[in-house]
Amino acid sequence: MTLRHRTLEIGCPVPRVDAAAKVTGEEKYAIDHTPGNMLWAGVRRAGVPHGRLRTVHVEEARALPGVLCVLTAADVPGTNRQGIIHKDQPVLAGDRVRHCGDPVALVLAEDRETLAKALALVVPDIEPLPSVHSPEEALRPDAPAIHDSGNVLLQAVIEKGDASSAFGECDAVVEETFAVPFQEHAFLETQNGIAHREADGKLVMTVSTQAPFRDRFEIAQALGLDPLSIRIISPYLGGGFGGKDGATVQCLLALAAMHAGGRPVRMTWEREESFIAGYKRHAVKMHYRVGAKRDGTLHALECDLYYDTGAYAHLGAEVMELGMEHAGGPYRIPNVRVKGWCVYTNNPIAGAMRGFGVCQTTFAVESVMDMLAAKLTLEPLEFRRKNALRRGDENCAGVTMVHSTGIGACLETLGRHPLWLERRDWRRAAPPFKRRGVGLAAVFNAMGYGRGLPDSAIARLELTLDGRIRIYCGVSDMGQGNSAAFVQIAGGILCQDASRLELILPDTDRTHPSGSSSAGRTTYTFGNALVQACNALKEKLFHRAALVLMLDEEKGLALLPGRVRHLPSGREASFELLARMLPEADRASVGQFIMPVAHDVPDTGKEFVIGFPHVFFAYAAHLARVEVDELTGKIEVTEYLAVTDGGKVINPQGFEQQVHGSVAQGLGYALTEQLLLDRGAILNAGFADYILPTALDVPEIISVAAETFEHTGPFGMKGIGEVGTNGPLPAVANAVNDALGRRLTRSPLTASRVLRAMEEGPAQPVT
Amino acid sequence: MKLRFVLNGESVEIEVRPDRRVVDLLREDCGLTGTKECCGSGECGGCTILVDGDCRLSCLMLAAQLHGRDVVTIEGLSRNGRLHAVQEAFIEHGAVQCGFCTPGMVLAAVSLLARQPRPSREQIREGLSGNICRCTGYVKIVDAVEAAALKLANGDRR
Amino acid sequence: MTNVLIPESMEELRRILETHPGARVYAGGTDLLVKMRSGLEAVPPCLVCLERIAELGAVSEYGEVVRIGACVTHTRLLADPVVTEHLPVLVRAVGVLGSRLIRNMGTIGGNVCTASPAGDTLPPLYVLDTELELCGRTGSRIVALRDFIRGPGQTVLGENEILAAVRIRKPRMFNLFHYEKVGQRKGLCCSAVSLAAMLRVSSGGVVEDAALAWGSVGPTVVRSREIERMLIGKELTAERMREAAAEVGKIISPISDVRADAAYRRAVAGNLLLRLAARDGSSR
Repeated sequence: MTLRHRTLEIGCPVPRVDAAAKVTGEEKYAIDHTPGNMLWAGVRRAGVPHGRLRTVHVEEARALPGVLCVLTAADVPGTNRQGIIHKDQPVLAGDRVRHCGDPVALVLAEDRETLAKALALVVPDIEPLPSVHSPEEALRPDAPAIHDSGNVLLQAVIEKGDASSAFGECDAVVEETFAVPFQEHAFLETQNGIAHREADGKLVMTVSTQAPFRDRFEIAQALGLDPLSIRIISPYLGGGFGGKDGATVQCLLALAAMHAGGRPVRMTWEREESFIAGYKRHAVKMHYRVGAKRDGTLHALECDLYYDTGAYAHLGAEVMELGMEHAGGPYRIPNVRVKGWCVYTNNPIAGAMRGFGVCQTTFAVESVMDMLAAKLTLEPLEFRRKNALRRGDENCAGVTMVHSTGIGACLETLGRHPLWLERRDWRRAAPPFKRRGVGLAAVFNAMGYGRGLPDSAIARLELTLDGRIRIYCGVSDMGQGNSAAFVQIAGGILCQDASRLELILPDTDRTHPSGSSSAGRTTYTFGNALVQACNALKEKLFHRAALVLMLDEEKGLALLPGRVRHLPSGREASFELLARMLPEADRASVGQFIMPVAHDVPDTGKEFVIGFPHVFFAYAAHLARVEVDELTGKIEVTEYLAVTDGGKVINPQGFEQQVHGSVAQGLGYALTEQLLLDRGAILNAGFADYILPTALDVPEIISVAAETFEHTGPFGMKGIGEVGTNGPLPAVANAVNDALGRRLTRSPLTASRVLRAMEEGPAQPVT
Repeated sequence: MKLRFVLNGESVEIEVRPDRRVVDLLREDCGLTGTKECCGSGECGGCTILVDGDCRLSCLMLAAQLHGRDVVTIEGLSRNGRLHAVQEAFIEHGAVQCGFCTPGMVLAAVSLLARQPRPSREQIREGLSGNICRCTGYVKIVDAVEAAALKLANGDRR
Repeated sequence: MTNVLIPESMEELRRILETHPGARVYAGGTDLLVKMRSGLEAVPPCLVCLERIAELGAVSEYGEVVRIGACVTHTRLLADPVVTEHLPVLVRAVGVLGSRLIRNMGTIGGNVCTASPAGDTLPPLYVLDTELELCGRTGSRIVALRDFIRGPGQTVLGENEILAAVRIRKPRMFNLFHYEKVGQRKGLCCSAVSLAAMLRVSSGGVVEDAALAWGSVGPTVVRSREIERMLIGKELTAERMREAAAEVGKIISPISDVRADAAYRRAVAGNLLLRLAARDGSSR
């Protein structure tokens, strides 16, 4: 197959090596593993948003033939608390249920049908408690306390300068309130896995997960096990987007496996359960006030942010932290005060999702920027360019931008594009009953974990006995193509084509801990470790070849496919020969890397344990062209342009894939996606009523790279996995305002809201 | 019931409950895990298979309905180890990211091109609008189908 | 376990229905099987799939009447030359029904019998004054579509009676055929508001006759002779349509649900009339 023999050059649009097995259906995801003698595990969920769990009636279910056991909280060893950092989520609810999806009992059965029957027979006895369903409700003094610590997971401030007095120095000030809903990841492969316990007690799990190494610790702490006695295998995920970061099925599966007598157990969340029990993007309410000088220089920004983190923490504090760090946009603003409350409610659990807290504040800040530009009668693009961060500037969190900072280049490139230059003529040519508008957004998104924990990776390479190079990949590939990038990097450095390279996907027994697949970090951090390992292996191969070829110095050697050549003499040593010569331990090389952190930590944001501050950012400038239908209020995005700074592009096709995909998810977030909740119950827990964009709903997306060079990144790159999600909502909202002279401040921008806006008048307050 | 049908070019006979969902029959009884279940309610196209040449949702079909039919799953698309033009185009044009929607998407595209050999990009989008992809934003999928159409029209191998 | 029987003739079907009380019939399964999975419909002891009964799968012409078998799939309907030539309003609607996958499986009979207020075939079938051929124990009977559907999911189908075909008189008196479906997205969606319209417009641009039907704005499809009369004699312009549009709110009874709120449906149902003016090219 020609793909396998294509040369892997850095910078070339090499098709992904994982694509071949995926187009034939050969690739096995976690959900495709069905070992023989398999049992099925499932959980009964609370069905009420808040209550005292008095007891769970399990006798009838236990008595059903084919049911091995029914477990409740009493059967959970260890702490019965899972969580990534903040461990407040029970594996099985004890005396309280805090959201409709809280699991109250685990059933283990011979087959799926028996499992379903048994689950229907489990009856939780719950005394309902008053519930709260918004940060506003939860913060009232008389609100019921969801956790012993109260309803505030975290309250924090990021500030610099003196925002409140600085407003007095501004020539123009705008103020507005914005609200965004919960969003669903909607990965096509739902949360699932299989697990079995070996004779020596070791737990082996194949699961759709973004963090196999951390999962072991999360399971171990929840169930009182030894983390190193747990093996997690992470195949390609059928999508993750943050929703498989942190235990989903893992603790429940482990618990089931402990009662399965050595038999393998499967847990698969069907789509409805995935909605009810899975993690969500936080719903947020944001009050913004921003001021500038007459000449357009931004001077002051204040905002209050209320993040609805649902029943349990997941990564709520970290999500809010990142949103707060980005709350001022990619701009120079000397006086900033960002206040955030991350609040528990009895809604579904909010956690990590691509764009991690930033998607939300970007809507607000990019909307107020347009409002401010309008007030100053400045062009929205020029206004942004004037205030855009440059290398060496201090960002809104007070951190000096010492790494690549390409937002200026992105805006400049966008400004030269016909979609921007020809906007006036295009607007005027609107067809009957349509109004046209063009909107911008300047966006950014931090890469990596920030401070407080090591953003680390360890890459291992091995020369196999048949002369191939095996890459031991420590980070999960959820579709972003990082494993293909690793093959390209290794192939590029070692001059091998894909047929000579092998990938071992993450397996805690075989690959090395390298952090989670998240935060846009994997190609950067693991890539850097891999580069190190490749260079070490190259050196080793040259040295060993010199021995084999009897050279008196290691000079003039080159790596070619499958061999080392001594260029002056033309003699070669094949990889197979070298491999046979070397003891196993010597055939490997290991590289490691920790992402650099900010050294000037500003004297603010003290409440954050992890994250604050970040120092690497991807940047982008987005443009949306929309047509609004006057009769129906429907918005059609006719064209979309994304100009992205991801440092140097190591694979243009991979780069575009990320841009397209993140923009598409952002468009869903902008136009149609929202969790509809009625006192914590999800009304649209399925694809019939949770509206995802289809091929007819996503326009042609034009992606342009505005390349900078990120000196610390492998071949100058940095991660762009998330930044694209942040642009569509503000770009489309700004475009709608351009078309109608009306500003929508609540998303999604449904036809109903647009129609109402057209009928009612100028920017309506958030209701 | 004793079910007899053609599966990926070969006659098969299976003893199966008549009300077994076809997606379960394929994935579990036949071991063909290429066909995926993503929603179970016909909304996402992940379970797409070809039945007598038409693309259909296997999560909404019952085993009994397959009797005497000609079924093609993603595993049956390539012949003698050679990929279908659509499969090759998906690889070339970067239309595969997580890959979970890919089997259904490829089969939907194959059946689209069989009925409409030279579709416009808009027609491709329409033809694939029943197949949800959460990763790609569809642009490269449309690119791939467009390219495959050209290849097939030029008489290149299937 | 549920037995699944697939008869290949009407006779076989009749015998099955006689001997299997409680059996549920389905053709494509895109409604029934989904509802069984979600629990909205009970799992019956026996399912009867109609897709192989030839008599139910044919499109035929009898003079001015087009007869479409109940089990004609939406895809086959769209490809049928008789349908495409004579029933453009139906073609427009079925073309935006579901997705290709759904259309390959779903049938016109299924859409009618499911009787969803949002069924895409229904507004066009209503403006076409469709009649239904019902086949039961005691023989066949013809029922007008407007009398067939009583409310959401409710029809007058008797026990062991099935819908065998829809009969439509070719709409010779009309020259403009229109269907607009408003949903939350362009791809595969349930209609939030829809309008089917057939007009006869004179060469001078004046409306001489009109048949209108709205979907998703009441328990069943809504027709209004009153609104239709308001159009007749008027020029097909946005301005003249606005007068009629303002009255539409009075003849519909939309609800608020996960797809749209009542106020939106009310406003848009009227607005959609204006699109008719654009269809003709004028939008004054």
